[in-house]
Parts: sequence; C-alpha cells; structure tokens
Amino acid sequence: MKKHKRPRSSSVTWLAGAAVLFVGLALAPTGVGAYDLASIRDIMLFALFAVSLDLFWGRTGILSFGHATFFGIGAYGMAIATVKLGLPAGIGSIVGLGLGTALAALLAFGVGYFLIRGGVRGAYFTITTLALSLIAQQTAVGWSSVTGGDSGLIGVPALGYGELQLTDPIAQFYVVWGVLLTVSLGAWAVLRGRHGLVLKMIEDNEVKAETMGYSTSLYLIGLFTLSATVAALAGALYATMTGFVAPDMLGLILSTEVIMWVATGGRGLILGAIVGTIVVSELQQRISSIDTKLWPMFMGLFFIAMVFLFPDGLLSVVWRVGALLRRDKANGEVRR
Amino acid sequence: MSDIIVTSLNAMTLISILMLVSMGLAIIYGLMNVINLAHGEFVTIGAYTLAMVQAWGGDFWLALVLAPLVGYAFGSLIEVVLIRRLYQRPIAIILATWGLGLVLQQLIQLAFGAAPLPASSPFAGALTLFGTSFPAYRLFLIGITIAIVTGCAAVFRFTNFGLDVRAVIQDGAMAESLGIDTAKVYRRAFGAGAALAALAGVLIAPLTAVVAQMGVNYLARSFFVVTIGGPGTIVGVAAGSGIVGGLETLFNHEMPATLSQALVLALAAALMRFRPNGLLGSAAGSR
Repeated sequence: MKKHKRPRSSSVTWLAGAAVLFVGLALAPTGVGAYDLASIRDIMLFALFAVSLDLFWGRTGILSFGHATFFGIGAYGMAIATVKLGLPAGIGSIVGLGLGTALAALLAFGVGYFLIRGGVRGAYFTITTLALSLIAQQTAVGWSSVTGGDSGLIGVPALGYGELQLTDPIAQFYVVWGVLLTVSLGAWAVLRGRHGLVLKMIEDNEVKAETMGYSTSLYLIGLFTLSATVAALAGALYATMTGFVAPDMLGLILSTEVIMWVATGGRGLILGAIVGTIVVSELQQRISSIDTKLWPMFMGLFFIAMVFLFPDGLLSVVWRVGALLRRDKANGEVRR
Repeated sequence: MSDIIVTSLNAMTLISILMLVSMGLAIIYGLMNVINLAHGEFVTIGAYTLAMVQAWGGDFWLALVLAPLVGYAFGSLIEVVLIRRLYQRPIAIILATWGLGLVLQQLIQLAFGAAPLPASSPFAGALTLFGTSFPAYRLFLIGITIAIVTGCAAVFRFTNFGLDVRAVIQDGAMAESLGIDTAKVYRRAFGAGAALAALAGVLIAPLTAVVAQMGVNYLARSFFVVTIGGPGTIVGVAAGSGIVGGLETLFNHEMPATLSQALVLALAAALMRFRPNGLLGSAAGSR
C-alpha cells in the first residue's frame, strides 16, 4: 500500500504558523479599504466553513460532498427567524443563530444515524451527501412560502442582542476573526488529543478501533454533527453580514468549492484549510474577473489535476519541495 | 377512471426515463463499482447529439443510432485516459469525474450557448388508449425502454461479452488468469454504460429542455435507483426505477415537483439504512 507522507508539523510550528496567519489577518483593517475589508471578512467565514469540513473529512477520510447543506441551513435558519418570523431585532438574530445551528446539528445527526450507523462509508457516504445537497437546494427553491424560492430572502439584519447591533464593518471583521481563531484552536486541541487519536485509528482501521472497545459509529456521528454545527455557524454569520440568503448557499457548487479549499490546503491540516480558502478565493476573483464562466471550468480542471498531481493538496507540493531541499542539504542522506 | 390511467401512464413514462438513464449506471456503478459523477453529462451528450443531428437536417432515427456510438467512443476514451488509473482510489474517481462533469458542462455551454436547443420527437399526435388519449411519443418511450432493457439483459446473459464482464466482476485476477483481457473488458463495459446513457439522452431530449446542465437532474436519482434496487441486477434497476418514479408521480399531485423529488431522494436515503444492499440484495451480504 502506497502511503503518502504528510508533513507532521509539531505543536510549535503549528502555533507559530497560526500566530503569523492570524496576526496578519488582524492587521488587515489598518491597510485596506471598506470593500476589501468586507471581502476578507467573507473569506474568513468561508475559511470557517472549510475548517468545519476539514474537521470531518480531514480526520476520518470520509468525504462529505454536501457540506454546503449545513452552511445553507445555518444561513436560512437565520434569515427565516429574522425576516420570515419577524422577530424583534433585539432577539431575532440570537434565535436565528440557535435555529440555524440546531437544525443543521439535528440533520447531521439524522444523516449520521441513517448512514454511518447503517454502515455506509467511503464512496457511498459521499454520493448520499451529494444527494443531500441537491435535496436541500431543491427544497429551498420549491418551498417558496418559507424560503423565498429562487430569489431567496433579503433584509437579514446584522447580528445583535438587545441594544447592541453589530453593524460596524471593523467590529464585524474582528468578531469573525475571533470566531475563526477560537474554532481553529479548539479543533486543533480536540484533534491532537485522545479523541483525535481515536478518530485517526478509525481512519486507519475501523474494525480494529471497534475491537479495542471504541464505539466508532458514535465517534463518527458526533464528529459529523460537530462539523455540521460549525458549518451552520459560518452560514448564519454570513447571512447576517451580507444581509441575504439564496439557494446557491445550499447547493452543489458551494459544496464543491469547499472541498477545493480544503484540498488545496491539504486535508487534515486545520491551518491548511484556512490558507487554502484564502488562496483559492483570491484565484477565483482573478479568474472570474476575466470571465465568470471560466471559474467552473477551472474548478473542474483543478479536480482532475488534483487526483493525479497533488492528492495531498497544493501546499503539500511546497512542503515536499522543502523536504527535498533539506535532504539535499543533509548531503544526500536518505531516510527509509 | 381516466385519471388513474393518465397517472399510471405518466408514472410509467417517468419510470422508463429513470430506467434508461440508470441502465448505463447499473453497469458502471452497479457492476464495475465506479462512482462516475460525469454520468449525467453522458446523457447530456446524447441529447445534444439529437439536437445537432436535427439542426443539420437529419431525423430522430439517425440520432438514435448515432448517439450510442458517440457515447461509446467518448466513454472508452474517458476510461482509458482517466478512470483506468484510479480504480484503487474510489474517492479520487469521485473527484476526478465530478471535475470532468464540470468541464464538459462548460465546454458544451461554450460550444452551443446557454439557451435550450430545440429537439423534436418523431411523432406528434396522441393515441387513444383505454378511452383516454395519451401522447404517442410517451407510449413509444415506454415501449422502447422495455426493448432496450430486455436487450441488455440478453447481452449480459447470452453473449461472450456479457460472460466476460460477469467473470471480471466476480474475480478479476481469476478472469485474467483464464485469458480474459480484463483491461479491455473494463474499457468496453464503461463504454457500453456511456452509450446507454447517451441513448437515454436522445430519448429524453424531446420531453425536456436540452441545456448543458440537464444531466445533474438525473445524476442523483439514477444513483438511488441503482442503490435501492440492489447494485448489479437489471431487475433491481426496474424495481428501483419503479419505486423512485412511482413515488415521485404520486407526490407530484400534492406538492411542487422540486419538493417531491427532494422527498423521494430523502426516502431513498433512509431506505439505505435498512437495506444497505438494496431491496433485492441479501440483507446479510457483504457491503
């Protein structure tokens, strides 16, 4: 069996990398205009979404092809609570946040119960979650009395509680920054702990993990639910900051994009998901500015190139080159 | 009374469409165990073949013969260039074929534009059946589906090619040691699956909008048809199509089409919990 060597960054390098990345992001408001600030804020929310996928796919090797479902449910939960139910501004967005994340968690638990507990793994899980994304998008388009149909819902108010309204762009930026930092550190801490080791064992050999007394289904369902909740959190925040929701937010294209973000960074590395999102989003803007039709084509080519050229992510190429240089320096000393 | 007849004929039309699309998938996914997310695009290619042939003055029957050839050539090419290198990596196949599907959609849109292309059926009128009139083309569709499915069953049961495919599926190494060129069998089976999808595309085209994204509509449903019925059997495809198509027609009376599709997919996903090997698969078998 061919095993690709993944760079094992020690805690120190990981924390140093995270520090550089987050300090860099924190300095952004001082140097960029209002438009760029808003787009960096959105990219950080997408990065949060990418982290949520990486949490599950990265650690279990099971790919969810419908992760936008959970992002979208978070966004729609927020929009329905504030716009459709017309809850007062003081309480609406808190209820919306709760509704969106709870619905996503419930759905993920249900999917987990039906599929994971039913023994569905690997490619079958992927295809079923892909259908989930289709189902969600069709529901959002078809159930127009609640979801606003094709045009979605507009006028989602800013996040707020009581008198406090998060309308200031710089304040919004730092709230998103803080959430991303907290979730990333949390995910990193959980994954490098005992639970992370059990999940790693499940990826390597689930039967063995089960034999050692771990309820593997329970672990997988739990992680999937957690992952969906984080995705919904990203979606709900996104809705409050852009002010609208649309069926695209549940759809297959976003599900595809998030896989691309994680894959670019190299799955299994929380930081990689964030860097991947930043790199790919930048690329998307450049390519779409030439012609918006080019982007889906580029995504398609990217996926084909990825499986052949860089199955461990684009960034792994950088690491591999780095490792090669180091090996040269060590005077041709060959490990293995 | 006439309501019931029209509803069941409508259901049979939808079931036929699902069976046509799923037959190709039953070979690629059910037998070869390859999750080909570009399967919908093979259907699209078939539909565009019809639109092109008619735009150049050819008729429906010419396209019906041409499309499977186009699909076969295209499918075998994809198998050799892409799929063959990835048989050991199922997730990689999913990602690569999904990428391929996106590229094909964009290429088709670049070449033919975003507007739906016209595609017409060979007969316009309606036939009177059991006292109600029903479009003749739909009756033809039901008939030809039965013929195609029977034909496929016969090919798998009685020809050398069918025997080779079944042998390779059962035990590739043993088949190879008995002198079967497994690489060739895989290529031809994949090509055959694509040819069936393209054929389905021609037959569906007169009933739907021929656009570059039309394939995605059939992708998830046909996967569920094959999974529900139990992968690898033609009877399974019929059973799966019957359930998905029948339920969808039934729900269509009560709610918008998009919601009924969503509900059927959700039910199908739930069914996998209890019958992971499909309705006709053995409950205790390996998965």
